[in-house]
Amino acid sequence: MTTEIGQGITVTKTGEQGAFGGELLTINFGPHHPSTHGVLRLIVDLDGEQVRRLKPVIGYLHTGIEKQAEALRWQQVVVVTDRHDYLSPPFNNLSYALAVEKLLGVEVPPRANALRVIMCELTRISSHLVWLGTSGIELGASTMLMYCFRERDTILDMNEEISGFRMHTSYIRPGGVMADATPRFLELLDRFCNQMPGNIDEYEALLTMNPIFRSRTIGIGRLPAEDAKVLGATGPMLRGSGVPWDLRKSMPYSGYESYDFEVATSDLCDCYGRYLVRIKEMRESVKILRQALDGLPDGPVNIDDRKVLPPPREELETSMEAVIHHFKLFTEGYTVPAGDAYAAVESGRGENGCYVVSDGTHKPRRVKFRSASFVNLQPLERMAMNHMVADMVAIIGTADAVLGDVDR
Amino acid sequence: MISDNLILERGVSAGDAWIAVAPENVHMALGALKEEGYRLLVFLTCVDHLADSSGQFPARFEVVYELRNMETRELIRVRAFIDGDPPRIDSVHDLFPPANWDERETFDMFGVVFAGHPDLTRILMPDDWVGHPLRRDFPVGGEVVEFSEEHETWQTAPEKA
Repeated sequence: MTTEIGQGITVTKTGEQGAFGGELLTINFGPHHPSTHGVLRLIVDLDGEQVRRLKPVIGYLHTGIEKQAEALRWQQVVVVTDRHDYLSPPFNNLSYALAVEKLLGVEVPPRANALRVIMCELTRISSHLVWLGTSGIELGASTMLMYCFRERDTILDMNEEISGFRMHTSYIRPGGVMADATPRFLELLDRFCNQMPGNIDEYEALLTMNPIFRSRTIGIGRLPAEDAKVLGATGPMLRGSGVPWDLRKSMPYSGYESYDFEVATSDLCDCYGRYLVRIKEMRESVKILRQALDGLPDGPVNIDDRKVLPPPREELETSMEAVIHHFKLFTEGYTVPAGDAYAAVESGRGENGCYVVSDGTHKPRRVKFRSASFVNLQPLERMAMNHMVADMVAIIGTADAVLGDVDR
Repeated sequence: MISDNLILERGVSAGDAWIAVAPENVHMALGALKEEGYRLLVFLTCVDHLADSSGQFPARFEVVYELRNMETRELIRVRAFIDGDPPRIDSVHDLFPPANWDERETFDMFGVVFAGHPDLTRILMPDDWVGHPLRRDFPVGGEVVEFSEEHETWQTAPEKA
């Protein structure tokens, strides 16, 4: 029997007997519920207030990015990669760029690597800040959003300064980065590195010992290390279960091996553990940013290959060859040797990978985004089992799925 | 340990090691690799080689499994080539739980049927969608924009994609 109880929520009695003597109720949670961080629908069987079964239904934000990528030229795909995990575009750009560079067989210069690291770590912080702010709202600390978005805005200002865009930066592209960092960007970054540790202390002062926050997260959504590994979780979900797996350390890329930072882990295996991991990660990111800024090498920010990247603007006025290259690149694009490659980076959510297949033409044959959120949503039932409905909100929150990343 | 007679071919593509196995042996090969320490299924997907000019692929669909050994930090790619209508291959969700959604996605996007999958339904596209969008013969921009006035249904995918 299905009853409509208003606000788009329908309740179905399953006829099955629950432990508390009543029937199990099937509830439709979402897809437009604010705590689902997008459009995630959960079909939940409730026994009283407790979750007995949970089935995520996804696809409401499917935008066909992989199909679209097949219709674009190699350098144009960068723009669509921005849009799957829309809270952290540089990671998407970077995994795609690394995969294409693998096929092209090129290495980017050190300054490009350092700028890539800077953009990625800034984005890791801004992505964690969105998570922290929205989780704060859901768990009864509504001021968190104000604090977090204040700092996020300074990061968006930096994005704008370096790439011209606040969110979808498309800054990292195969062969290097879009442009060199401006002096103002470096100044803003320096100021940010000085301020951010104090700001993180502020967040911690509000939440870490906050009795309401602690009782809503400690012991909630337990995911033991073994389960996390079996279910394929990556990122803070895995590290929050005590597994020190971070691609930046485990399988370094873009020069991460030269930075001194710690992998944040927590043995608590619950929502609170994942919170601690993300806070620690923000601190470590600031450390990396400081090192990258102080040791920023000089030199070009792009590979010296006119077939892959356009010539500098000033050359166009003096060199016929530059004009030809420019014309060929923007009408035909470049070709990539046939083959396939997979590259993965550690995003704020976990392993953000890109698998590209080339058939030797100027468009990819297949681009597959291995998104962390898609995999990290699957342990949801394991984590929410036998918890209250209200705890489900904390659990979805700390899974930190971006629905654009889930549905691509 | 994966025995050599399961492996049809092995090679390296852009620095990534791969092996090709016969589609009927996929479950056995992945089971052996899991025993070997490749415990994480990074992703599972399909590549449509329709009208590939190189002619080096034995079948139209290539199912790709990427596995990682978290101890030795090695990756291995397993390929299986399948044909048929619909193309069929064994499910590996019992070996690697994350394969559950990946296989549903591959079914949704390519129409590959994973035998033994507990719930092989569409995951990203609407349940009543016709066709499999990531196949190369499925047109880009073929669908009418929803809410436009001229159409009766927004479902305009070709009957036989």
